[in-house]
Amino acid sequence: MINLYQFIPEIFILSLILITLCFGLFNKDRAISLNTLGFILLSILLLNYGKDIYSSTQFSLNTINLFVLSKIILSIGSIVFILLLKRPLKNENLYRYEYVLFILFAILGSFVLISSNNFLTAFIGLELQSLSLYLMAAFNTKNLSSNEAGIKYFSLGALSSGFLLFGISMIYYDTGSFSIQNLNNFTAISEIGLSLVLISLFFKVSAAPFHIWTPDVYEGSPTISTLFFATLPKFASLIFLFRVYQELNISDIKSLNYIFQMVCAISLLVGVYGAITQKVIKRLLAFSSINHIGFMLLGIMSYQFMSEGTLFFYLIIYLITTFGIFAVLLNLRTVDGEFTKISQLNGLRFTSNSKSISMLVFFFSLAGIPPFAGFFAKFFILSASINDGFIFLSIIAVLSSVIAAFYYLTIIKNMFFNKLEIELLDDNNKTGKVIFIASGLIITLFFIYPDPLINLVDNLFK
Amino acid sequence: MSFPILSLLILTPIIGALTLSLSSSTQLKNKTIFLSGLWITTGEFLLSLLLPIFYDKSKNGYQFIEFHTWFDKFDINYYVGVDGVSIPLILLTTFLVPICLLCSINSIQNRAKEFVIYFLLLESFIIGVFVSIDLVIFYVFFEAVLIPMFLIIGIWGGENRLYATFKFFLYTLAGSVLMLLAIIYIISKVKSGNIELISDFTFDRQIELVLFLCFFASFAVKVPMFPFHTWLPDAHVQAPTSGSVILAGVLLKLGAYGFIRLSLPFFEYASIYFQPMIFALSCVAIVYTSIVALRQLDMKKMIAYSSVAHMGFVTIGIFTLTQDGINGAYFQMISHGIVSAALFLIVGVVYERHHTRMISDYSGVTNVMPKYSFFFMVFMLSSVGLPGTSGFVGEFLVIMSTISVSVYLTFFTAIGVVLGASYMLLLYKNINFGDLKSDIKQLADLTNIEIFYFSCLAFLTILLGIYPKLLFEMINKSISLSII
Repeated sequence: MINLYQFIPEIFILSLILITLCFGLFNKDRAISLNTLGFILLSILLLNYGKDIYSSTQFSLNTINLFVLSKIILSIGSIVFILLLKRPLKNENLYRYEYVLFILFAILGSFVLISSNNFLTAFIGLELQSLSLYLMAAFNTKNLSSNEAGIKYFSLGALSSGFLLFGISMIYYDTGSFSIQNLNNFTAISEIGLSLVLISLFFKVSAAPFHIWTPDVYEGSPTISTLFFATLPKFASLIFLFRVYQELNISDIKSLNYIFQMVCAISLLVGVYGAITQKVIKRLLAFSSINHIGFMLLGIMSYQFMSEGTLFFYLIIYLITTFGIFAVLLNLRTVDGEFTKISQLNGLRFTSNSKSISMLVFFFSLAGIPPFAGFFAKFFILSASINDGFIFLSIIAVLSSVIAAFYYLTIIKNMFFNKLEIELLDDNNKTGKVIFIASGLIITLFFIYPDPLINLVDNLFK
Repeated sequence: MSFPILSLLILTPIIGALTLSLSSSTQLKNKTIFLSGLWITTGEFLLSLLLPIFYDKSKNGYQFIEFHTWFDKFDINYYVGVDGVSIPLILLTTFLVPICLLCSINSIQNRAKEFVIYFLLLESFIIGVFVSIDLVIFYVFFEAVLIPMFLIIGIWGGENRLYATFKFFLYTLAGSVLMLLAIIYIISKVKSGNIELISDFTFDRQIELVLFLCFFASFAVKVPMFPFHTWLPDAHVQAPTSGSVILAGVLLKLGAYGFIRLSLPFFEYASIYFQPMIFALSCVAIVYTSIVALRQLDMKKMIAYSSVAHMGFVTIGIFTLTQDGINGAYFQMISHGIVSAALFLIVGVVYERHHTRMISDYSGVTNVMPKYSFFFMVFMLSSVGLPGTSGFVGEFLVIMSTISVSVYLTFFTAIGVVLGASYMLLLYKNINFGDLKSDIKQLADLTNIEIFYFSCLAFLTILLGIYPKLLFEMINKSISLSII
């Protein structure tokens, strides 16, 4: 008899999906408020009873904490996202209730992925997540580039799923087990299989050299979908990657360890060099996210120093910053549609105080300039990696962040130094405004009072 | 634990900036904004005057210490305190910021509120650098200084300001990130960021050399030392007058302060090991940049290059590792902070009236601006190092201390003094004497405000020149502790 107790969060989302399916057809607005409420309940549930849910499983306490924390972050992220999505979708004439469903399916997939203990379950979770993402990329069916993004994402994603399945079957052939834990006495075949699994996961988190889809998909998709790709599913895949790294002791397997380090270094460099020449802000953010993935991989590799804390801290700060940036972008429109180019940001300082200052904070934070929270996130990752002896990678990381500072500064330059050319229209989206101001405040004030965020991460790992 | 004066010093400008930013900009006139900024910074200056009054010169170590845990888990703390080395620099900062605001009342017309806010933030970050005795918080403030400076140069600078401000930011950042890695390594070894604890720790020699170079990369860019100095002329030329003043007056001192405060006590072996390299670079800086300064057509650029040369004296003095040398270097820092700030103001005065910085556009200014020429002369002579002005004491002590190291070193430093005299006198001659050009005739002499701040600066220069003990009393003890 399967103990369904530990599936409560997933079942909860599944019931949300069913309710939305029946009821959202008639009233889209209600569907949104219902789902917001649902995710609020889910986060409260996880916050209070999260540890009890998994207490009957054979996972270690640390892993259980990992599950709970990442699921809480996912649900909170979904709340923010669902609150944000209405206005941008309406602007594009895309306001249909299916969109919320895709989010729910993607989150369900992420939940399954995070806590799966078995490669096959993980595959199901990953596919569920990815399929929703393909649809979200192509959601703007009348727009060619959105279709292109969807098809590119789908075909490349399908290829990477193929890699994943093939890798899993090789591992199964070698060890006779799908389990992620206790994978012992394996041979070279499993190593190849695992490397294929890793490649597929690198693809999902868009680590270089498996990143080619990222800029195109980011650019072509509706901006609100881009925000989703950049945050929650990526977060879930990273957590799973982290679990694979940790549970299978990849740091002990020399060949895979090399792959990991190479991918980390390449991501750091490709991210910054790709971003320098970009003129379209979403492409720039795509490359910048590749650079940040490099930092996160560094965090995954050096988890021994202070367990998952550093990685989680970085992820949380990165999520907050990305939400903030996209909330600003979604709030801006040109006269003839969505704004895309960096040069269109020229002179934003003169039209909007709150937006330009929040953007200043976000980009300085991404560049890792103190006193913003992004600096501390990088600081902790680097502390961990130097403690674990990844000196060379740390040097690459900091130098890449100097180059990264260049293009972040360019954006700030456009907003603060250049003259106003075309006035961007303010969308007057109140939720968006609340979101970017709140994230700006968190990023800025973190340095004065770091305890809440640090303790949140800390307590869950005790 | 008594009155938290240092935190108050850091927080006052920030709170001021916050209040300003929350007030609605449409209703406030530029003048009101500048006046409120002036009130805040003057209050800050008066507050900072309490430091030397209540500082106990007979005691060793840091005073006015405040300690709060910050990141409990990493043993990173908000740990601030001052000793003799930091107090004069704090005073210099709080003294120069109101002057910067005063001199920009007329020249900064657009976005005045932002300007004042950035200056206030800049002030509090700089003070933060000087008071922190924990490495991480030191680094946080050290880097944070870049943000307001980047914006000040970028928004109110000259035509080529984007290039200058990007160069400034990226150069400094590239140096600093290496220091960040070194800091992280040190903290992971010592298990604490406390500067005093780290001073007692001895590193493995090879590693110590690498760590020293990492710190050196950051400070050498900031000072700036010879091969890393190219950002400085650009930044100075493009920055608004007030930006140049704070850049030359205080920001360059952050690097030298870092050498005295961190490099010397942390890396005793490496400091001796790299002594020749630093002497060589400084000598090149002194001679080469002086010659470059001789050939400049732009006044600001000339003074910028002279800054590099003068900071060369500072680095030589610091790395003689003798009490006299460091005392001299420190004195030179303070003196250069006052004098070069004054010289940039001098340039600013004529630039504001005539809108050109080319030396060839000026001639015979004495005839129409006698008061201006008088103040120009005082600061020019001080920059040259005339006895009786503050410039003399520092240069003299540094040159004296080099004899104990090497006579060749003395030779090159002394050449620097001669070259310094030649380009400064040349600048003074070309601008003030000669035929009165027709388009110069309508230039007005100094206003009362200008006379006020120039007399303050001139008074300080001469006071320090004839009574240097004032400063030495303060720094002697602290510096003797940082020597090996």
